Amino acid sequence: MFFEYLINNQAEILRMIIQHLFLFSVSTMIAIISGIFISIISTLEGYEKFGRVLLTVSGMAQAVPSIAVVALVFLVVGIGMKPAIIALIIYSIVPIIFNTSSGLLSVNAKTIEAARGVGFTNNQILWKIKMPIASPVIIAGIRSAATINIGTATIASLIGGGGLGDLIFIGIKLQKHHITIIGAVLTALIAIIVDISLQAAGKKIIPRGLAIVTK
Amino acid sequence: MIELKNLTRKYGKKIAVNKLNMTMDKHRITMLIGPSGCGKTTTLKMINRLIESTEGDIIINGESIYNLDAVQLRRSIGYVIQEIGLFPHMNVFDNIAAVPRLLQWNEKKIKSRVEDLLDLVTLNTSYMYKYPLQLSGGESQRVGLARALAADPEILLMDEPFGAIDPINRAKLHESFMSIQEKIKKTIVFVTHDINEAIKLGDKIAILKNGDLIQHDNVNNILYEPENEFVEKLLGHDRNIKALVLKKNKDYIQRDGFLVVKRGEKPEKVLDLITAAGKKSALAVDSEGRFEGEFFTRISKHTKELRLEFNDEIVSLEKNGNLQETLSLMIETGESIMPVTSNKNNFEGIINLNDIFSELGSGEK
Repeated sequence: MFFEYLINNQAEILRMIIQHLFLFSVSTMIAIISGIFISIISTLEGYEKFGRVLLTVSGMAQAVPSIAVVALVFLVVGIGMKPAIIALIIYSIVPIIFNTSSGLLSVNAKTIEAARGVGFTNNQILWKIKMPIASPVIIAGIRSAATINIGTATIASLIGGGGLGDLIFIGIKLQKHHITIIGAVLTALIAIIVDISLQAAGKKIIPRGLAIVTK
Repeated sequence: MIELKNLTRKYGKKIAVNKLNMTMDKHRITMLIGPSGCGKTTTLKMINRLIESTEGDIIINGESIYNLDAVQLRRSIGYVIQEIGLFPHMNVFDNIAAVPRLLQWNEKKIKSRVEDLLDLVTLNTSYMYKYPLQLSGGESQRVGLARALAADPEILLMDEPFGAIDPINRAKLHESFMSIQEKIKKTIVFVTHDINEAIKLGDKIAILKNGDLIQHDNVNNILYEPENEFVEKLLGHDRNIKALVLKKNKDYIQRDGFLVVKRGEKPEKVLDLITAAGKKSALAVDSEGRFEGEFFTRISKHTKELRLEFNDEIVSLEKNGNLQETLSLMIETGESIMPVTSNKNNFEGIINLNDIFSELGSGEK
C-alpha cells in the first residue's frame, strides 16, 4: 500500500520534499544569520545587560508552542509560502538567539581580558576568541533550531506553506493513514539526516581544545 | 623605564589611584603590593591601557603612552595574568604564537620563536600540541609567561601570576622565573598580595594603600627601614626571617673546621683521621670532588669498640639557594650543620646554623 502510493505519486511527493526542504533551508539560513547577528550585537561589551534581557526573553519564548506562532503570523501576514517562511524564521530564531547569546556571555572574562591585554582588537576578540569558544553552544542551538524547524514546517502547511505537511493533513482529512504515515516518516528522515550532518559539521568547526572538556 | 606622573584614576567620587609618582627601573622587577582595593592592579592595567587614567601621564622610554594606539601599545608589552588567561580553544603553540600572528610574522619565524620560548620556560617541545585543559597549573603559568614574551617585549606586566598555584609549585616557579629574568632582563611590573613573594622576587617594592604610594624602595630598605606602622604590619613581626630570603647560601659557606675524606679511602684510615681530629664524623667526596655522604663513628654496644659507618642520605644545600630555605631545611632535618654543593653536586663547604642565627641577630643590613 505504502509503496504503491509512493510509486504512483512519486513526482508529487518529490515536489513536496523539495518544497519542504526549501521552506526549511531558507527559514533556517535566515534565522541563523539574523539570530547570530542579533546575539553578537546585544552581547557586545557595555551592552551585556541588553544581552541578558534577550537571553531571558528568548528562554521564555522557547515555551511558546509552534502552532501558536503559525496562527499569529497567519493573522498578521496572511496565507502562502511567504507567511510560512516568516513563521518558521520567528520560531527557529529563538533557540539560536538563546544559545548564541548565552555562549557569548559565558566566555570567561579573564580570557577576554588576556586577549585584550596582549593586543587583540575588539573584532579579533569576537572572531578569534569569543565565537570559537562559544561555538559548541552556538552549534547546539543551530541543531535544535534546524530539527524543530523541519517539524514545524509541516504545520506551516496549514497556512498554505506546502511541503510534506500537505501529505500529512491530506491523510488525516481523507482518513487514509498510510498517506499520513508516509508524510510523517519522510519528515522524520529529513530531520535525522539534517541533524547527523550538522553534528558532523559541528565536529569540524568546534576547536579541539574545547572538545577535551567532555572527556 | 616606566615613569608614572601624577597618575590618577577615579571611579565616580571614589579614588582608586591617587596622584602616583614613581619610576620603574629598566631591566628590574618592581613589585606592587598592598591590601585589596589599594590600587595595585588598577595601576598595572593603566600601563597597558586596559584601564584609562583619569589624570596624569605614563611615560615609557621618554614617550607618553597616550600618544600611541592602545592596541599597538599592548602588543609591545607582555601581559601575564593567573592561569585562566590562556585561550582554551588554542593549543600551546597557538597560544604562544598569538601575538606574533597579530604582528604578522611569518610562520617559520613564529615556529622557531615558539620553540625557543618553550625551551626558555623549560617545557618540552611535545607540549606544543597540548591544550590548556591538559596542563597543570604550573605548566599553564609557564605557557602564559612564554606567550607574554613571544614578541620579545621590553616590558612585562604580571598580575598575580602565581596566585592560583600551590605553595610547593609556586616556589619552583619562583626559582625558574628568577633564572629566566636573569637571562632576559625585562622591565617587569609585578602585582602581588604576598609579601614573601614580593621580597623574594622584587628588586624594588612599591607599597600602596587606598590608592596612595606609601613606600617605594629597594627590598633591603623596605625591610630594615619601613616607612610607617602600615609597612611594618605588612612585613610582619618576622621580617628578619623574611630578610633571609635575600641572603644567598654561597656567602655563608665555611670552608674549614670540618673533615673531608675520599669515599674510597680505607675504613681504618678514615677512623684514624676522625679520631686524630677529635671529631665524630667526616664528609665524603668522590675522586672528582662530588659530594657522597658522611662517615660517622659509633661505639658498638657489644664489643665497646669504635666503629665506622656511612650515611649516604645526607641532604645537601644548593649553593645558589637562600638562607630562608636553608633554615627551614635545617629545622626539618634537625641538622645544625649541612653540606653545600654547586649545581653539579661538587662539594663546596658547609653552612652552620649558628651563622644564620647571628645573621638574624645582627638585624640591620
